[in-house]
Amino acid sequence: MPQKPKVAFFSFTCCEGCQLAVLSCEDELPEIIKDVNIVNFREAFDQRSEDYEIAFIEGSISRKDEIHKLKKIRAKARVVVALGACSSTGGLNCLKNLYPMEFVKKEVYGKNASRYPRFDTMPVKPVDAFIHVDHYIHGCPIPKKEFLSVFTSLLMGSVPVMANYPVCVDCKMAGNICVFEKGMTCVGPVTRAGCDAICVTYGCVCWGCRGFVDDPNVASHEETLKRYGMAHSEVIRSFNLYGERKMEPKAASMKSKTKCR
Amino acid sequence: MADKNQYRYLTKTGLKSLINGLMKDRVVYGAVKKDGFPAFGRITRFEDLELSQTPTHLSAKEFFFPQRECLLKFDIPTGAHEPVVASQGQAVIGLHPCDIHALNLMDKVFAHGTSDANYLTRRADTVIIGAECFPDEYCFCSSVETMNANAGFDIFLHEIKSGFLTHTGTDAGRHLLGKLTKTVKASASRIKELDRLKKKKEGAFKTRLNAPAKDLPGIYAQSSDSPVWGKIGAICYGCGSCNNVCPTCCCFDVKDEVGANLKDGLRVRVWDGCTLEDFAKVAGGHNFRKTRAERLRHRFNRKFRYLTDKFNALFCVGCGRCSRACLVKINIAQVTNELIAESTITKNR
Repeated sequence: MPQKPKVAFFSFTCCEGCQLAVLSCEDELPEIIKDVNIVNFREAFDQRSEDYEIAFIEGSISRKDEIHKLKKIRAKARVVVALGACSSTGGLNCLKNLYPMEFVKKEVYGKNASRYPRFDTMPVKPVDAFIHVDHYIHGCPIPKKEFLSVFTSLLMGSVPVMANYPVCVDCKMAGNICVFEKGMTCVGPVTRAGCDAICVTYGCVCWGCRGFVDDPNVASHEETLKRYGMAHSEVIRSFNLYGERKMEPKAASMKSKTKCR
Repeated sequence: MADKNQYRYLTKTGLKSLINGLMKDRVVYGAVKKDGFPAFGRITRFEDLELSQTPTHLSAKEFFFPQRECLLKFDIPTGAHEPVVASQGQAVIGLHPCDIHALNLMDKVFAHGTSDANYLTRRADTVIIGAECFPDEYCFCSSVETMNANAGFDIFLHEIKSGFLTHTGTDAGRHLLGKLTKTVKASASRIKELDRLKKKKEGAFKTRLNAPAKDLPGIYAQSSDSPVWGKIGAICYGCGSCNNVCPTCCCFDVKDEVGANLKDGLRVRVWDGCTLEDFAKVAGGHNFRKTRAERLRHRFNRKFRYLTDKFNALFCVGCGRCSRACLVKINIAQVTNELIAESTITKNR
């Protein structure tokens, strides 16, 4: 019998909510551990191993020592999957980048923060700013079903499918009335779907946690938001909650991604 | 138009008996209000039903061609597989004439070639009760010959002041009306009231196409290089909302979903849309319709030309849902009127 693939989960700057989302697959995990050996999973157990084939990485990169750890993982793993918004696009952590690093350090660790090297920090970046990422699971947090779909695809040897259409599709599929019709605004028309429009379905709006689709019509959405009464600065803010998104309109053939600068 | 002698008068209480009767042995869906907007939804009490004058948010296609459905169950180690046709006795209440025309078109598509058991079984299991409507600023059914429906429903309701005038399209409809409720022959004055309402509706359209319906395929055939496509392509999101709200858009994707045990799985089909970026992308990454302009041109041609050539009917029923749902205000009637203005067909007339 061939050896079971070894799978490791790693965590960088984040709330570890995406690891929790994996742990919440209670019905499927007993089946999954028949197929693989999970060798690193901080949210679930203490033991660690340096020997693995598939690495799921959650969290964004916000410190220099994290870059070193990240590169070590890439060197060992055959497949690297970015797990969740922080890892894939930089996520909410990128809000930090709007301020000078000395300011955020003091804000969090007090006025003497600069005296201690362990409080050193840098502008937040997604993991693919430093290493090659093979597959992405978007979302804050990740949807369970997307994790399972990527996981089973990897084990079956097929290419995991990532949704490349705006949240409007998921919203219409869910039968939701458009938030714009209800007098609110959202960034769904330029945001990658795959979430079943869960936020809108439960009465909220889309904040864009999954980043841009491959070819977003940003200029058009900027116009729409203004038409619905938003000032330019508000438009920028609504685009930037989950990672600073480039605002220039893109040519149809170019890939545009939500990325921390 | 129904024969005048065919109209039967049904009171509002009579409608309640009909709906309650249907609910006894069927799942009933109908026009409801969702967040204050007209939509289709499950009816569990007669009071849930809120017949709307203007089109619902999504069309009724989901009751025959759901957003997501299982087509096949399979087991990898043994290779065993079995088709899944999930259907139940159901009734859908409150389809407008455009929706009924759309359903008739979908019937043609899903019966064409290898017939689609899932769709056709659901269609056969469904009682359709149509309802009269009144146009809003986006409706233009009077320009595409779908303002009245003669077939494709079991019972049709025309609301008048004191209740409803009904006519039936099938024996099943006549049977249900007789069995579940009471109707009387419509009086001349009530039929006159209906005529007045119909005239009022005909005069109320704010949106009209500036060419006869039969000219539209030819006009679209001339429009491939029109500057209109670039103009609307520039503002389009490629969000597929026009596809998803359209009552005749019926493209789908088929995916295999394998369970966590890596043994059993489901083959599912989900709605797809030709305005989405990956719709015409093939193995190797080539995309046959890379730009939004090309994808919009394709969608519009599907409504007014390609399928018309194949099935001899326009595939736009004038419900205006795509224009209503479009956040950047791409309006199917305006676009068509721009193409009509550019065309030589109308000028030579």
